[in-house]
Amino acid sequence: MDSNKQVPVTVLTGFLGAGKTTLLNRILTEQHGKKYAVIVNEFGEQGIDNDLVVDADEEVFEMNNGCICCTVRGDLIRILSGLMKRADKLDAIIVETTGLADPAPVAQTFFVDQDVADRTKLDAIVTVADAVHLSSQLTDHHEAEEQIAFADVVLLNKIDLVDESGLEAVKERIRKINPFAKIINTTKCGVSLNEILNLDAFSLKRVLEVEPDFLESDHDHEHDDDVTSLSFVSDTPLDMEKFQDWFSKLLQTKGQDILRTKGILDFTGESDRYVFQGVHMLMDASPMGKWPEGKVRSSRLVFIGRNLESMNLKEGFENCKSA
Amino acid sequence: MKADLNKFPELNKTKFENRGKELRLGIPVINSVVIGNSIAVGFGDGTIRIFKAGQSSEPIKAHNGIVLCISKDGDDIITGGDDGRFLRISLNGEISEIANFGSRWVDHVTANNGSLVCTSGNNVYLWMAGRKEPRILEHESTIGGVAFDSKGRRLAVSRYGGVTLWKKDYSNKWKSSNLLWKGSHNKVIFSPDDRYLVTSMQENQLHFWRLKDKTDSTMSGYGAKVKSFAFVHDTKFLVTSGSNDAVCWPFDGIGPEGRQPICLPFVGNKLVTFVEPFPNENAIFTGLSDGSVFLSEIEKSSNTIIIRSFTESEVTTISVTEDGSSILIGDMAGNILWTSIWDEENK
Repeated sequence: MDSNKQVPVTVLTGFLGAGKTTLLNRILTEQHGKKYAVIVNEFGEQGIDNDLVVDADEEVFEMNNGCICCTVRGDLIRILSGLMKRADKLDAIIVETTGLADPAPVAQTFFVDQDVADRTKLDAIVTVADAVHLSSQLTDHHEAEEQIAFADVVLLNKIDLVDESGLEAVKERIRKINPFAKIINTTKCGVSLNEILNLDAFSLKRVLEVEPDFLESDHDHEHDDDVTSLSFVSDTPLDMEKFQDWFSKLLQTKGQDILRTKGILDFTGESDRYVFQGVHMLMDASPMGKWPEGKVRSSRLVFIGRNLESMNLKEGFENCKSA
Repeated sequence: MKADLNKFPELNKTKFENRGKELRLGIPVINSVVIGNSIAVGFGDGTIRIFKAGQSSEPIKAHNGIVLCISKDGDDIITGGDDGRFLRISLNGEISEIANFGSRWVDHVTANNGSLVCTSGNNVYLWMAGRKEPRILEHESTIGGVAFDSKGRRLAVSRYGGVTLWKKDYSNKWKSSNLLWKGSHNKVIFSPDDRYLVTSMQENQLHFWRLKDKTDSTMSGYGAKVKSFAFVHDTKFLVTSGSNDAVCWPFDGIGPEGRQPICLPFVGNKLVTFVEPFPNENAIFTGLSDGSVFLSEIEKSSNTIIIRSFTESEVTTISVTEDGSSILIGDMAGNILWTSIWDEENK
């Protein structure tokens, strides 16, 4: 399927009051001459200024496809399939989720449903977070952690209401959960729209471009966040068979706890870079051309999830190195 | 030497295309419904067109966005749209609004024997003959499809987790029972003899229940979602899309369990996207993902003829007039063929 014909879908998550509706209205008023469909789930205090607003129900379906953690959003399948039958072509679709929604079924819908995958593509998950309240929300609600864990962009809003050290603390907490996410500081969601739209964040090409914001390993464990990230790097090439064996078993048995994965892999005897990214047990992977000349070939792998410490990830990864 | 695309030879058209009327509208064709020897078609710009023998069809603006569903109530067309409206449209093109649900889509409409139904979200709205206000039948999840049995006494509502079967008792009260099967169920139909209920699922499979003893089973092995399926020649076969073949499950006698379907293959391994029975014959029209349409008898060594050559856009509807004389074909790119089926000398 020609990716140019797929309508990009941006998912806006975040807790009530963080500023989702403000951001939505900014997008809709600033993008002149573009046709957007907005799928909303909650009517906030402000109205949404667009002629194409669709009500959704946040219906989560289990699939019978043998994937134990595979849930999809039934309402999105129905609405996106309907929107694709419109005579006028849409420039983009924006899905607003409620503050208590788990982003995984939304993302999985784009992997699992063939009609949705043929005609639309998940562009990025943008999480709007309130700089004042995010810390307590992360402590009190696992949904807040998931929304940060799945984010490609975290729009850290209302920064004018916190001091510098407070801002640094909340940013560090975000990075600890999700080292890939780009954090943008804003007040009143004032952000250039090209930083949140048309990011193509779920394409394998983008995995190559985004340098994860790796943390120093010795940072303090002030908060015991449930969701964390772990990353591994190796300059020794990996054995493809060993890696596939380890990784598929890992996803099969621990896929429920592994929220997102991304990686660039250097396999012995292969001239191409292998790139993958996944949501829970669902995986998109492909060779992505030759390694750039003059650059060191190395494998990099990042996990975001729960109970990662218990999965022996380091040992598993080390065992994949070619002897 | 360079290939000159402008001089690419025109592919041979079929005799059905040569003698029929072809429209290139550029608007997605959603679905169509047969009313006697007229066919009404719903489009992705909210218009409908009514095709009658020997007449041109003008667009009628019905909905503001998409005609999501189209069916009939007697001699009237009924439609639901993403503008939240449930409409009745006469064959002369007169529109009246039955209900308006605002920003909620009207996903499915149907009618039988004086009862009129539309669905929006989790609710079925049911108008009994002569009543102005609908009865609201609530369900726990969004409705995937609705169907009346042949007499209009039972209404099947497919949803997440199975089918809710509503039955009108002799005091005209509607009572529900459940037919459960894990997963999300979409389109639902009764067999013409009312013995079976069949649903297509979010997974690439169908499920059916034999209603007298509520035994059920799955029909699987498809490469894609089964969006189009219908019973052929009373209840002899269930013909289905979703594969490179038109897959025809035997439903006569003991039913399909333990029996192999007849698979009708087509050249080029394209996906079957639409199937439509030929009225009163053991034969079907099959539309493919490249826009081509074939007529085949359902036999092991099938005799197949091509009705429409390819348009490179998936077939989204095929309708045949009640007298079996004319066929309408529509696709996602808005190409329509409206033509007679029989040669002049065979009429």
